[in-house]
Amino acid sequence: MKSIMIMYDQAFQEKIVDLLTRQNCRGFSCWPQVQGRGTKTGEPHMGTHAWPSMCSAIMTVVPDEKVDGLLEKLHALDMETEMLGLRAFVWTIEKTI
Amino acid sequence: MSLYEGAVKKPIMTSLIFLAITIIGLFSLSKLAIDLYPDIDTNMIMVMTTYPGASAEDIENNVTRPIENTLNSVEHLKHITTSSSENISTVTLEFEYGYDIDALTNDTRDKLDMVSAALPDACNTPYIFKFSTDMIPILVLSVSAEESQAALYKILDDEVANPLARIDGVGTVTIYGAPQREINVYMDPQKMEAYNLTVEAVSSAISAENLNVSGGSFDIGNNTYTLRIEGEFDSPQQMNDIIVAHSPSGAAVYLRDVARVVDGVEERAQEAYTNGKQGAMIVVQKQSGANSVNIARKVKERMPELQKTLPSDVKLGVIVDTSDNIVTTIGTLVETIVLALLFVVLVVFVFLGRWRATVIIAITIPLSLVASFIYLYITGGSLNMISMSCLTIAIGNVVDDAIVVLENVTTHIERGSEPKQAAIHGTNEVAISVIASTLTMIAVFFPLTMITGMTGVLFKQLGWMMCVIMTVSTVSALSFTPMLCGQMLKLQKKPSKLFLALYKPIQNFLDKMDAAYARMLNRAVRHRKAVMTIVIGLAVVLAAISYPWIESEYFPANDNGRIGATIELPMGTRVDKAKLVAQALEKKWRDRYPNYFKVINYRVGQAGENAGAMAGMSSNGSHIISFNMSLVDSNERAVGLAKICDEMRADCKEMPEIAKYQIMMGGQQGGGMGGQNTAEFEIYGYSFTETDQVSHALADSLRNTPGVVEVVISRSDYEPRYVVDFDREKLALHGLNFSTAATYVRDRIYGSTATQYREDGEEYDVRVRYEPLERVSIESIENMMLYSSTGDAVRVKDVGEVKEGWTLPTIERKDRQRMVSVSAVLADGYVLSQGVAAGNAILSRMDIPQNVSVQVAGSYEDQMDANKDMGTLFVLIVILVFIVMAAQFESLTYPFIIILAIPFAIVGILVLLALTGTNLNIMSMMGGIMLAGIVVKNGIVLIDYTQLMRERGYGLIQSAVKAGRSRLRPVLMTTLTTILGMVPMAVGTGVGAEMWRPLGVSVIGGLTVGTIMTLIYVPTMFCIFGGVGIKRQRRALKKQRELNDYYVAHKDKMVRDRTGKRVED
Repeated sequence: MKSIMIMYDQAFQEKIVDLLTRQNCRGFSCWPQVQGRGTKTGEPHMGTHAWPSMCSAIMTVVPDEKVDGLLEKLHALDMETEMLGLRAFVWTIEKTI
Repeated sequence: MSLYEGAVKKPIMTSLIFLAITIIGLFSLSKLAIDLYPDIDTNMIMVMTTYPGASAEDIENNVTRPIENTLNSVEHLKHITTSSSENISTVTLEFEYGYDIDALTNDTRDKLDMVSAALPDACNTPYIFKFSTDMIPILVLSVSAEESQAALYKILDDEVANPLARIDGVGTVTIYGAPQREINVYMDPQKMEAYNLTVEAVSSAISAENLNVSGGSFDIGNNTYTLRIEGEFDSPQQMNDIIVAHSPSGAAVYLRDVARVVDGVEERAQEAYTNGKQGAMIVVQKQSGANSVNIARKVKERMPELQKTLPSDVKLGVIVDTSDNIVTTIGTLVETIVLALLFVVLVVFVFLGRWRATVIIAITIPLSLVASFIYLYITGGSLNMISMSCLTIAIGNVVDDAIVVLENVTTHIERGSEPKQAAIHGTNEVAISVIASTLTMIAVFFPLTMITGMTGVLFKQLGWMMCVIMTVSTVSALSFTPMLCGQMLKLQKKPSKLFLALYKPIQNFLDKMDAAYARMLNRAVRHRKAVMTIVIGLAVVLAAISYPWIESEYFPANDNGRIGATIELPMGTRVDKAKLVAQALEKKWRDRYPNYFKVINYRVGQAGENAGAMAGMSSNGSHIISFNMSLVDSNERAVGLAKICDEMRADCKEMPEIAKYQIMMGGQQGGGMGGQNTAEFEIYGYSFTETDQVSHALADSLRNTPGVVEVVISRSDYEPRYVVDFDREKLALHGLNFSTAATYVRDRIYGSTATQYREDGEEYDVRVRYEPLERVSIESIENMMLYSSTGDAVRVKDVGEVKEGWTLPTIERKDRQRMVSVSAVLADGYVLSQGVAAGNAILSRMDIPQNVSVQVAGSYEDQMDANKDMGTLFVLIVILVFIVMAAQFESLTYPFIIILAIPFAIVGILVLLALTGTNLNIMSMMGGIMLAGIVVKNGIVLIDYTQLMRERGYGLIQSAVKAGRSRLRPVLMTTLTTILGMVPMAVGTGVGAEMWRPLGVSVIGGLTVGTIMTLIYVPTMFCIFGGVGIKRQRRALKKQRELNDYYVAHKDKMVRDRTGKRVED
């Protein structure tokens, strides 16, 4: 089991949920309003006067074999509209109930 | 879910809600009344009291002054003006604006009840008359007649006036110029004396015979019958057979033996001529709140039908149709609005370069405008010049909100967002600034709703409408516009070739402009002091150069194609002579401009006793000619109304037989709204000789002043009169008292109304008096026989004297003092301030008696009041705008920088007014006031973005230049939409355009200069203040650091250990 944390510009919301559904990832948790900024490029998403846009974050826990496919799709989505910004991070889940 | 998110996600609901608003708006539009001005809350009440037979001075002392003294205590009274003339006293109460006139009327009525008992017995009960715009006739019909002349009144009353009065919305229909039927009983004095008969006795004999009496009911068998005793005359000639007395021999004396019964018309009546033909006039007034245009249309529709029922020689025509002017004026404004809309859409297309975005804007503008019709309909407003120009002004402003939203949504889409997501998040980001910019506009327009006075009347509706429109436009910008963006906008992946070919040059031009502006700005912010010196210096110089060229006036003159004229010949001139003069004038005017006059109508002669209230108010007399002319529309004429009036005055001046003349541009007196500029001076003083002297001296000097075309003294000339001076002792000796003697004389000359003769449901007065031929000499009065209660007869000359003298026909008073006003009408091109200055100069040279005081009044007073109101309003608005901005920026510096744009805008107004030769008047001032809100918007946009750049970490100068470059297009776009929206107003030539041209000119001038200056000085000032701020920050940091260093170095000396000892110790 791996957990994937996806951070993205709010505008991606519907597309990402759609993507997860298509990939048969039913479960996820979402934080609709998240502040943040990229390490290298991209506009900060701070929800302030200077940087008014905001990010959202979704965490989903999927079986190991689904991770690569999902990341690929996410990367493709990011490449399509680079200026909005989308990042995903994967880490291992040790136990669940 | 926020407003915009909900709107974007529910497009059907959103569009249907706005569709519903549009439908209700259009429905309201179809129900709206059309008028020239908004409903002017009346602030005047007139109290008219008739005292038949009393002279002006009697009226003044016995009627006017008691009423005046009592009514003076009514609350909120501004001025009390009275005029006492023969038979009638008129007290006009002018109240402060903004109070409920019905409550004031009730107060007045209560006070009047108190005074009524103190008035002379013969005096009729005073009646209250409320003024309102509804009283202005909406339609004046002409009637020409030949054979039917004698019966004209009856014909018109039955066949025209009554059917017209039944039309929905028509208030009163009055007939002028057709004498009413009257049964005259002319007594022969010699025969009366022979039979010891008096007019009173005959009068009561006639009245006693003309009677129907109900005799109660009685029973015959099983039935009950009512009993009537009928004695009313079936024909006037029956009166001849009345026995009025018995001769000493016992023979009956019939009325026919001593008198002549004439079934005719009233003796004194006005004659009306239309286009040279005698006839009558029918004046149609509307009910309050009714739609003039609709009524005029309905009346005109009925006319052909009514014409058929009239005798063949009676012809109906239209002299004045106020609705014509209204319809064409509003038509011109509709054109203006459509043009403004086109311009705005064009600007949006050029700047955005996207047809979908342009379509969205084009849909949202009318939506906000249509919503304002709902407001108008709910509040009972009308479509008028003010509300229509409000729409024109609004067009340029309502797009701003939509543009801001649209631009940001587009940016999001270009960054790759889905249109729907872009619409939600894009709107979310700018929602606050959209609301803030609306608040600045509301800060400008809301105070307009609070002003009172004449200016209040004009601006109240404008203020509310703008507030409604701005609010609706903001709501639509935050819901409807994002919804449309989500539905219609798309990422433009590849523009079409045609579009590129067309738009590329524009694109290049805009890019070059951006670059040039950035370069210029870069230089400017590096030479801040020099730039600010140049900018301020330039503004001061421009203002100083243009200010002396601007003249001020109250209200722009309105060319409504109507002229009224009152021509007075010397007192006592006969009607025939007056008619000749009128004909000569008509011919002269028609020859000069053969195609300009639609109708020339004039009235001559004295109005009869029953002529109605309107005739009582306007002066009339055998020597007075009243003209009423209507001309073709102003855009079909090469010569303006003011010039035609000036030429008419020159004609009157040339004719030696004319004693006085008054040409009234616009058809009514005074320069208040839309008339010619008139400087009015009021001369107060009790003594007639002193005030006459001053008024004539002033009038003579004014007449010789260049620019003054007509001077009118309100006090008319002395009227010749005879006074019967009774000797009270002699009267008493013959058992008579003064009032009996006076009544005797009055009944013989003026007549005594014996009874009413009824025919076909109409009542006609039966008046008993001397034969006309027995009323033409002093002797006839001297020889009148007076009878005492005991039957003793004595002649007037034995108990009194008939003296010749002069009397004032009208005594005017204002604020309880006798007053004469001298008004000077100024020629076309001269303004009020010049006239008042000239008058004041003359007065300062004059030797004015001690008891006489002179005051400038009339429209100059109004103008001064209005200027004061406008000044207060302006200050209030600037403060409110400042507050809104300070709240938005959470700073006092930025609003200060932005508000500086207002002085620059004022300079712009002055420059353009001077260049176009437009006067400074209420309309141009209104433009200035609106600018306070519009011009700061640009500053807000610039400062906001510069501040944003600073927050993103750019340096001061870089922020200013980058922000300037990035915001140039939005600033230019919103400014151009407003300016181009106003262009049709400023250059319009349609009917009524002269009214709002000053408004358009001042907004364009102010906004152009204001925007150019804003684009230069705002970044510069931002850098100056920013620089100062940075230096201050650095100083503070340095101080802090030094303090810190000092503390660290001396820490040991200052800090105590736990035992309380200094560490060092």
